Amino acid sequence: MLGYYLRLALMSFRRRPGISALMVLAIALGIAVCVMTLTVYHAMSGNPIWWKSERLYAVTMDNWDPNQALNPKTNLPPPEMTYKDAQFLYRSDIPLRKVVMYSTEGVVTGAGSQPAAEIATRVTTADFFPMFEVPFLYGAGWSRSGDSPAQPLIVLSRRENERLFAGANSVGRTLRWNDHEFRVVGVLDDWFPRPRYYDLNGGNFQEPDDAYIPYGWGAALQLQNKEENDCWRPEKLDNFQDYLASDCVWQQVWVELPDRATRERFQSFMDGYWAEQRSGGRFPRAKNNRLSDVAQWLRDNEVVDNDNRVLVGLAFAFLALCLINTMGLLLARFLNGAALSGIRRALGASRRQIFAQLLTEAGVLAVLGTVLGLALAALGLAAVHHLYAAAHLGQRGGYQELTHFDVTAVTWAVVLAVAATLGAGLYPAWRIGRLSPALYLKSQ
Amino acid sequence: MNLNLRPVLAALLRNRTGAVLVAVQVAIALAVLVNAAYIIVQRYQKVHRPTGIDEANILVVESAGFTARFQQNAAVQEDLAYLRALPGVIAATASNAVPLSNGGNNDSLVTRPDAPRAGYINDMEIDEQGLDALGVKLVAGRNFRHDEIQPGRTKLSISSFVPEIIVSRALAEHLFPQQDPLGKQVYDAGNQVATIIGVVDPVMGNFPGSDHPDWVFFVPRLPDEFIVVRYLVRTAPGQRDALMRLIESHLAQSNPDRVINYVRPLGYFKTLSYLADGSMEIYLLTVMGLVIAVTSLGVFALATFNVSTRTRQIGTRRALGARRRDIVDYFLVENGLVTGAGVALGCALALATGYWLSLHYALPRLDLYYLIGGVLALWGIGQLAAWQPARRASAVPPSVATRTV
Repeated sequence: MLGYYLRLALMSFRRRPGISALMVLAIALGIAVCVMTLTVYHAMSGNPIWWKSERLYAVTMDNWDPNQALNPKTNLPPPEMTYKDAQFLYRSDIPLRKVVMYSTEGVVTGAGSQPAAEIATRVTTADFFPMFEVPFLYGAGWSRSGDSPAQPLIVLSRRENERLFAGANSVGRTLRWNDHEFRVVGVLDDWFPRPRYYDLNGGNFQEPDDAYIPYGWGAALQLQNKEENDCWRPEKLDNFQDYLASDCVWQQVWVELPDRATRERFQSFMDGYWAEQRSGGRFPRAKNNRLSDVAQWLRDNEVVDNDNRVLVGLAFAFLALCLINTMGLLLARFLNGAALSGIRRALGASRRQIFAQLLTEAGVLAVLGTVLGLALAALGLAAVHHLYAAAHLGQRGGYQELTHFDVTAVTWAVVLAVAATLGAGLYPAWRIGRLSPALYLKSQ
Repeated sequence: MNLNLRPVLAALLRNRTGAVLVAVQVAIALAVLVNAAYIIVQRYQKVHRPTGIDEANILVVESAGFTARFQQNAAVQEDLAYLRALPGVIAATASNAVPLSNGGNNDSLVTRPDAPRAGYINDMEIDEQGLDALGVKLVAGRNFRHDEIQPGRTKLSISSFVPEIIVSRALAEHLFPQQDPLGKQVYDAGNQVATIIGVVDPVMGNFPGSDHPDWVFFVPRLPDEFIVVRYLVRTAPGQRDALMRLIESHLAQSNPDRVINYVRPLGYFKTLSYLADGSMEIYLLTVMGLVIAVTSLGVFALATFNVSTRTRQIGTRRALGARRRDIVDYFLVENGLVTGAGVALGCALALATGYWLSLHYALPRLDLYYLIGGVLALWGIGQLAAWQPARRASAVPPSVATRTV
């Protein structure tokens, strides 16, 4: 029966190719706009470490100015911590894993004939790699004993290893970082969490750093955070020791707390530290010691911006418009063909059969429209990709990565489109099915 | 036009579904178009706010020293001497950050020592050619002199301040409303005092994305010794790109203790800062175009369908004496009623959407002029889309009435 309905549908398209093409195009446009928007939205709202999102916590404490919050709109604590608070919290044994870190820059030389280049370098404690589940191509990270006193060890990103050592296994080789000798202990595999949740400074979709060195180098070489150094207190900052002792925030602290009990223990550990410091004259604002899991952290930092929510709304409004349009066209076309349906009813076709036949016709349109829509969306995303590339903006911003076709979004859009077009066909098919056949036979 | 609405309405009410679907399309279209246009205009105005900076003719060089031998203050003097001697260079300065890049320093200035701080104020380090290198206009007071430029701070002098600063007019008005800011004293985060010696207007500093991008003050000092240095170089019109190549090849070789991270036009940083706004504009314009196309298609299809199912009635009216003009009018009036109903519904929808956006997304409330414009435009588009089917209807000959099939 289905084959017969399909043949009828094709005949009907051939009878009116223009209006059929318009319907397919309307569906396709609605789908294309939706898929494009959802793809970007999905990429932005993704939680790149969802499987342990509830165990990883960004640690923040509000040490800010009593007269104004760092961000008065949200009243959140500063996203980074002071050096001294970070040091204290890092010494706790409560977390399963713990990281204190920041990103700086260093110039790499001494690896073959490569020209000197400044690369983004993360100064971090050893747990960074296991805690954020960073994949290694060669070697591994360093152990906690390498952090302090700092050992001259370095981990390279895959791309940096390709630049410096042509992609060879460079574990054991040496290079100079800011004119100090370092030994390569590991090379990362491709790794690009989007958004870069563990450090949202400088843009939510920045690429990970090109190199990683043990945390102790930060104080030893007097390395500053390259993105965010925020101070509020009028205090003497005449040397790096002053800076380390200051109320300036620039250290990122993350902990892995495997269960609720550990979480509560760590929270009360923080609160205890806060109370003790407060009695010594620090933390003048109300208590705001936060452990934010990854999902909360991304929400607090507004990783999905308002523009994208507006665009998703707009895309669905447009899809609705396209589907109502298709519904109107289908209705017109079925009513035009009502006489045919009347003859088929008179010859013994049941209402259900007429309904099924017309719905098949709508289904064929839905499939064609969806296929064309996906093709258009792929073209559109390629155009967006090209736009960013043309502006030379893609190399480090990671914006291009947002435009990759993503399977979940596509699946959703396809399901949505087929369901919606069939839905759009339901009412017209039902109406024609209910018409009395005699009426249309007579009018001929 | 002879507006005989009753028969038109009667026919419409007997065959409601198609008309209702088109009216709903028009309503959605109006809500989308009006709000999208409003957002586009706002973004456009934001991106094109005056910066006071000669954006088209400035290039930016970033240099990073990395060996213990590297002497930053000496290197900066050498680089500046080279840059300033190049033919085609109008002015060059060293600075801690790139204008319009959303990266740089903030401080908090107040007018009394120990006053509560309110808001962060962008500070830029420049030298005596800094204002010229940006192309900003000094509207009061004087520029920095060469002997007033302090060397870059070392790690042992991070919190030192300068005795004299130049401020933007917007900042002067914020700090000293309706007073002459020249000679007034301000205090930095460390309660160190400085005197205002000049006022520039307009100028947008390092942070176009901040709430007050034009609250800027200039500090006569070379960049700190332990961070990268940016050179801002203003060239004669048309010479920027050639100079960029020349400068890059020279500076990359001139000092083995540092690297040149990039030589780029200033526009690069501005584009990056406004990337989201630019994409939003393109996206919204595209969707607006598609919305108009799809809606006209809907109107056109309804009119065509109505004409084709009423061929005999049209023939009968023509046989009874209706002019072709009357037939065209009939269909245009019918279309006008349907689009009119849609537009009326759309007004409510557009206002509700606008209100919701202003509530949740911090957009200003929808401007009513946009709504009026949208109503007129959609109604016009509806009439245009119905025009061709109406003309075709008027071509139906009266003899059709006499045929049986």
